Amino acid sequence: MSTATPIDKIDPARRAVGRFSLRTRLMTMFALGALLLSALLAVLAFSLVRNRLLAERDEGFTNTAYLNASIFRERIPETADRETLDVGAVLADLPTPQRSLVFVFDSQTGEWDSNTTELTASDIPLSMRQRVGEGEPTRMRFATANDPYLGVAMPLESRNLQYFEMTPLNDLAETLRLLTFGLLGAGTITTAMGSLVGLWATRRILSPLAEVTEAATAIADGQLDTRLPESRDTDLQPLVQSFNGMVERLSYQIERDARFASEVSHELRSPLMTLAASSAVLEARRDDLPERAQQALDLLVDDVDRFQQLVEDLLEISRFDVGAQKLELDRVNIAELVMQSLEFASEPDVVVEVDSAVSDLDVRADKRRIVRVMANLIDNARKYAEGVETVRVTSGGADTVCIAVEDDGPGVPEDERQQIFDRFSRGRSAGQRGGGDSGVGLGLSLVTEHVKLHGGTVWCEPRRDDGTGARFVIELPVHRTKGEPDLSSEPALDELSEVSA
Amino acid sequence: MSGVGTRILTVEDDERIRTAVRMALEDEGWLVDEAETGEVALDQFSREPADVVLIDIMLPGMDGFEVCRSIRRASSDVPIVMVTARVDTHDVVAGLEAGADDYLTKPFAPKELSARIRALLRRARAAEPGKTHLRFGDLEIIPEEGVVTKAGETVHLTKTEFRLLVELASSPGRVFSREVLLERVWGYGYFGDGRLVDVHIRRLRTKVEADPADPRHVVTVRGLGYKLQA
Repeated sequence: MSTATPIDKIDPARRAVGRFSLRTRLMTMFALGALLLSALLAVLAFSLVRNRLLAERDEGFTNTAYLNASIFRERIPETADRETLDVGAVLADLPTPQRSLVFVFDSQTGEWDSNTTELTASDIPLSMRQRVGEGEPTRMRFATANDPYLGVAMPLESRNLQYFEMTPLNDLAETLRLLTFGLLGAGTITTAMGSLVGLWATRRILSPLAEVTEAATAIADGQLDTRLPESRDTDLQPLVQSFNGMVERLSYQIERDARFASEVSHELRSPLMTLAASSAVLEARRDDLPERAQQALDLLVDDVDRFQQLVEDLLEISRFDVGAQKLELDRVNIAELVMQSLEFASEPDVVVEVDSAVSDLDVRADKRRIVRVMANLIDNARKYAEGVETVRVTSGGADTVCIAVEDDGPGVPEDERQQIFDRFSRGRSAGQRGGGDSGVGLGLSLVTEHVKLHGGTVWCEPRRDDGTGARFVIELPVHRTKGEPDLSSEPALDELSEVSA
Repeated sequence: MSGVGTRILTVEDDERIRTAVRMALEDEGWLVDEAETGEVALDQFSREPADVVLIDIMLPGMDGFEVCRSIRRASSDVPIVMVTARVDTHDVVAGLEAGADDYLTKPFAPKELSARIRALLRRARAAEPGKTHLRFGDLEIIPEEGVVTKAGETVHLTKTEFRLLVELASSPGRVFSREVLLERVWGYGYFGDGRLVDVHIRRLRTKVEADPADPRHVVTVRGLGYKLQA
């Protein structure tokens, strides 16, 4: 597992991106991609169309203008008397297409003639006039204050005239404007569709992820037979295969651990059975034995008991570790449970103080686990103090009840109050005054496990009154539906028959 | 105390355990027969029935459950105690469903086993000595003779099933909690295993009820216990 990258080593930019969900990121990428693509296409389409339209117009209009110019020249006789020639009339007579605006400049008289009032001669760009003045035919796009125009101009040198013909480009501008709108619209739609495709694709891509999540959750909850359905998708096959393979190995491992625990259990309990029965046979004949043998027998019997307890504790712990523990829940009165536990642990003389608020309270508990918990706490008090002094049952709040086991010993130093619940931990100070006693330090860690299985907590604190001793508190959830028929607890292994009167 | 001449058949494959347990049980005053396999045990039992059978679940060949079922198939009502080295729920419930009356976990104290055996050998007692016939609809119980009939036909109950039924019949209609039944039938205290009661009730129903899934006589009172009614 050492290859995993710690989260703080990941570069900050990537972490910032990581703040958005995969779904958001994928969708954004799809939308951005669509936007970029449609923008590119729009620009390309626009410039192509524009250039093409302009080129066509240029060419067409130039031809028209030349044709008109030659007609015009024909109609002005070379020898005509300029004084009497009505250029305006000739212009008006020209078969010019609609909105062809013609200007003629007489370079002898410096006069302008025109067939239109839409433009005036001053609208014609100077550069154009200059170049025509230098005898050069010219084509030029220009704009007046209001509109764009295309102009073609040529000198009619044999007549000392300059011919200008202009056509407005308004219609072209309008076409391009419409085109722009069209492209913008298309781009917007494309982007929206890109987002939608992104959404759909994300769903498609993430749906196996959801399946994996579901399966992993089920497995974490202990349903080890959960598998991902086989996929024909070549991209998903490796994931499905390795996931299922992992679960296979995991469940095999867990099963093997459980089987191992069960086999160890059998292997350890069998010789203990022989030991227990044999030492009982010997104990029955204790009085027949010499004193020395009696002493040895007592040691033997004590340690067989101790060994038995150790094996029980170890097996219990290992069952917790493989998750093989099941609660046998009953609805029981808390005060009675505590009293019975003390009696069971041969401590019927301990003072039990039950708060009146909780004396009628029921808990849902595995009685035989709670009695183990109490026995372990009592055992603990016997070892490290002079036994249990008081057991208090109080309310722990709206939904919990507390069982506090108090002793009159030296108490537990603050820095050890957590660690005494660890396995094989007896606390430094405890070790010092150990007094050659039994116990390997599993008792309190088992208490923790049993209580946790009930959804409760356990902790150690100093006594709240004047005493110096320690106080071990178990907090258990309360069973609230007192008086109502209980659906899940006793005595219903398989039956749900009537609720009686 | 222990009935004089009460024979216990212990079925255990581990010779050392078998010997040690035999000696300890003999110290407690019982007569002990031994069998190292299920097959030997069944053979021995058919020739000379014991008063109590002690069966280890893990046996080579025929396992303890099967030995238990075979004894019950032969309509024997002998008390059977299952011994298991494992404590998982499955083993316990499977043993009880195979027909065992009680179970113990290895290693147990011989005194504890003796107490269990004595409890299982107790005779069923009637609530009112004068009343010899108890009727619940088509069900008739004669405690003194240890006989139960359903619609006139004899029902074969084990000793423990019979005592459980008689206990319930001692106060018709009264609800017995599992704790009370555990104490009166098995001699267990507050921390007895409630599964003993539940599985025995189930077994009882398959024998005395017309439809065990819809019991008319042995009914559950949810959250409280069980009762017997006509």
